[in-house]
Amino acid sequence: MQEMLANPAVQGGLAPFIAALTVTALLAPFRLGGLAVVAAFATAVYFIAGFTFEPLTATRKIILLGFAAPLAGIVIDFAFRPTRFEAWALALAGGAAAAWIFWPILAPKGLERALLPGGTAVLAAAWTVGFSHSRLAEDGVRAGAAGLALGAGAGGAAILGASLTYGLYGMAVAAGSGAFLLVQMIIGRKIHAGATFMLAAAFLTALLAAAAMILAQVPWYAVAALALVPLAASLPVNAGAPVWLQALLLSLFGFFVAGIACALAWHAGG
Amino acid sequence: MSSKFSTGLFAAALPFAAAAAPESFTIDAYHSFPYFDTVHLGTSVIRGRFEKISGKLVLDTAAKTGTIELTVPTATLSTGDNDKGSRPRSRDEHLRSPDFFNVAEFPTMSYKGTATKWHGDAPATVEGQLTLLGVTKPLTLTVERWKCGPDPRTQGKRYFCGGNATGAFNRSDFGMKFIVGPVSDEVKLWISVEAFRD
Repeated sequence: MQEMLANPAVQGGLAPFIAALTVTALLAPFRLGGLAVVAAFATAVYFIAGFTFEPLTATRKIILLGFAAPLAGIVIDFAFRPTRFEAWALALAGGAAAAWIFWPILAPKGLERALLPGGTAVLAAAWTVGFSHSRLAEDGVRAGAAGLALGAGAGGAAILGASLTYGLYGMAVAAGSGAFLLVQMIIGRKIHAGATFMLAAAFLTALLAAAAMILAQVPWYAVAALALVPLAASLPVNAGAPVWLQALLLSLFGFFVAGIACALAWHAGG
Repeated sequence: MSSKFSTGLFAAALPFAAAAAPESFTIDAYHSFPYFDTVHLGTSVIRGRFEKISGKLVLDTAAKTGTIELTVPTATLSTGDNDKGSRPRSRDEHLRSPDFFNVAEFPTMSYKGTATKWHGDAPATVEGQLTLLGVTKPLTLTVERWKCGPDPRTQGKRYFCGGNATGAFNRSDFGMKFIVGPVSDEVKLWISVEAFRD
């Protein structure tokens, strides 16, 4: 049993998927099925690194924000009416979060060397969070497909960029989003994603990809490519089509873009 | 007579005065390396070393006191696998990533220790603090060999000391928890040091 739990595929894939599936099934009736992502991510953190936050490294800041994002999402979903201003504010928060995490690492390198990775991290986080919230959060299938592709793309690129830890965290987000999507495909109707789901998925994947760029070897243009996944998940599909078909098509759109990001990471290594 | 006596007394006292004074040494970066090894998948031992090290020693052999301060740039690690071949990344690149040494965020690790046991004029045990990944934990080093003397390369004009020290720590204590098990938690250290008297 211990040997099985030490397997990276279990830590970053199977265990997070089971946790997310359980959370989605239990909490979807209360419009909290979006907690699937954080359940999956927390499961991976438990197995891979544990809940230690001292010293507060970049990775631990990402973990903290990953836990805080769905809590903020719950407040947004249940306490506020949706406004256009909301997405801009969240985009700003995404960019600020990236700056908070990576500035202490980039600052000693000097402005010239810090500008490209730092700018990419801030802009990718701001765009991914803002766009996903404004265009995908209200549609459970689109949100799930975006989370699935973002997680797989961030995870795959990170593994190719020499960080299996970030890779497994990305895959855990993909597993959580996949579970969230699977429930909708099985029951044949969309469930509420909201900021509870989308903030966690967008924040985590954008920050993990940026971390894999700054602390490992993912090239900046792979991170930029990955940020286009939410755009792919917003492409039009027949709203009258069965949920499973919509989920399949939107996931394929997302995977196509995530695949490009991974290919760029692979190419940079070769 | 009085002058001869005082001169003799001074001459007799001089070695003690000199020996009692702590002497400062600077690490010779070309002959000093920290080596490490871990067990891979419960089978072979993978060894590596850091290519650079800097630091200071302060020794007082008469008083049997000594301190050491070492700083290691973590990006200089090498296990002999720098060529990625058909893989996306080499082992050394992976070891530099956040999975292990996280060199972008923690570019140095350091050790500060004090010699607490001596065998004659040689330090035998050094108790100190290892700082790795921003975490500081105690680490005791056992000095396996130690010698001081004139440097034969300079016909004795330069005085130097050198030797080896060993120790071990659990990497998970420092937050390096990635695949503990498949790659052993225990990391053995073997530090070779030579240092010139300032």
